[in-house]
Amino acid sequence: MQKETIIPESRDNAFRDLIIKSPGGENLLTCMQCGICAGSCPVSHEMDHTPRQMVRMIQLGLKKEVLNSNTIWICTTCFSCSVRCPRGIYPTELMETLKPIAIKEGIKNRNAKFDNIFADVVKKNGRASEFLLISKYSISEPGMIAQAPFGLELISKGKLPLSIDKMDDTRELDSIFSLSEKTGSEEKTKIKEKPPEIKENNSDSQEAEK
Amino acid sequence: MKYSYYPGCAQHGTAIDQRISVEAVFKRLGIELEEIKNWNCCGALHVDDRTTRIALSARTLAGAKGLDIATPCNLCYSNLMRANTALEESALKTMINGALTNKYEGNTKPKHLLEVVVNDFGLGKLAEQIKKPLKIKAVPYYGCLLTRPENKFDSPENPKSLDNLIAALGADPVKYYYKTKCCGGPILLTNEDLALQLAKDLLVMAKETGADCMVVTCPMCHLQLDAKQKAVEAKFNMKIEMPIIYFTQLIGLSMGIPPKELGLDKHLVSTDKFIAKVGR
Repeated sequence: MQKETIIPESRDNAFRDLIIKSPGGENLLTCMQCGICAGSCPVSHEMDHTPRQMVRMIQLGLKKEVLNSNTIWICTTCFSCSVRCPRGIYPTELMETLKPIAIKEGIKNRNAKFDNIFADVVKKNGRASEFLLISKYSISEPGMIAQAPFGLELISKGKLPLSIDKMDDTRELDSIFSLSEKTGSEEKTKIKEKPPEIKENNSDSQEAEK
Repeated sequence: MKYSYYPGCAQHGTAIDQRISVEAVFKRLGIELEEIKNWNCCGALHVDDRTTRIALSARTLAGAKGLDIATPCNLCYSNLMRANTALEESALKTMINGALTNKYEGNTKPKHLLEVVVNDFGLGKLAEQIKKPLKIKAVPYYGCLLTRPENKFDSPENPKSLDNLIAALGADPVKYYYKTKCCGGPILLTNEDLALQLAKDLLVMAKETGADCMVVTCPMCHLQLDAKQKAVEAKFNMKIEMPIIYFTQLIGLSMGIPPKELGLDKHLVSTDKFIAKVGR
């Protein structure tokens, strides 16, 4: 892979600060690139950037590269990296923070599509009916037809009821799901109003980099 | 003993076998599980907006009405635990309570059913209920989200509670280095190649131990290791035939409950040989 010089213009500090302020990102600037996250990750061999590289890229504010990375979607959310990080960074949480941002920025892939279907099913019914999820996802993913025999096998064992599991009363769901709009806008204004202060502990890490 | 009970969506679908075994076993143990009325999905790992996901769990936690809340699912458990911690921040709690009819006060303790059995009920008391000690070798497989990112009852690196449970039932918990390695469940639909690869690693390692079965604590792990085992065999051209048993089913067998009443006929990998070896 050809290496490119990172020029200041390609760095987005507002993006970096947004991630630092989100859960699991508080200690992000203290990362010493030890790589225990990448070594603990059961799927890092499939990622275009390991969790360790992702942390560094976020530190540098490489928004485009971070949001276009398949790492966000390969992550299985197993938290192995997170419980081992000696600096208390939660790469898993970072991936969860990045997902909705990537979707908002227009990233499209199967995972984003499935998550969207999942959230939609829960918003409407309050429960994740597996049959509804699989059939909705299959409509937009033609390759899923190969799973039909598997589906039939589950049905024959009574494991995939065709009736849709639903809450008796779904009224509260609308207000729960509209919380996302509230928090999204709050985060944005927070950053505009107050540029984040550099934390005490990051002076060490910046020194160390030099 | 009484708990507020949060079954989670899988119990009404692919984890029907676990549901049957939970009902059979807990009734006999005298542990009352009172299902939360009108419960909602925890959002699993697929409701991407964090605040919404916390709110979904906050509603569940509020529904427990002060009792400890028990759940059979690792995903539900981890979401409840994570939400509980996040809701210690009062600004977030106030905002989320604004969207809820029953406000959450922060006083509910989530517990996985494994914790309920091992810690609250106690293995000593459980041993009194055993009619037929299981003379088998079993792989203790915990999965990811039972012990990570947070739990209050076992180690995230080398948990022992399931090992101890298996031993208490008279069986031999084998040494298994992948006991907390990811099964690939969450990416099964969107990245099947990778998901099956992860499942294969676990199953091959389990097979190598010479165990008679693999014991799981989570519906997602069960789906991945039992229901998808044939797909793993086909993809990697190998024979595995490893029965995947819920810990509740294992308890039930040791108590002499007939296999059918534990949902053991609903697995995709045959449990016949395993049941014959257990001896009923």
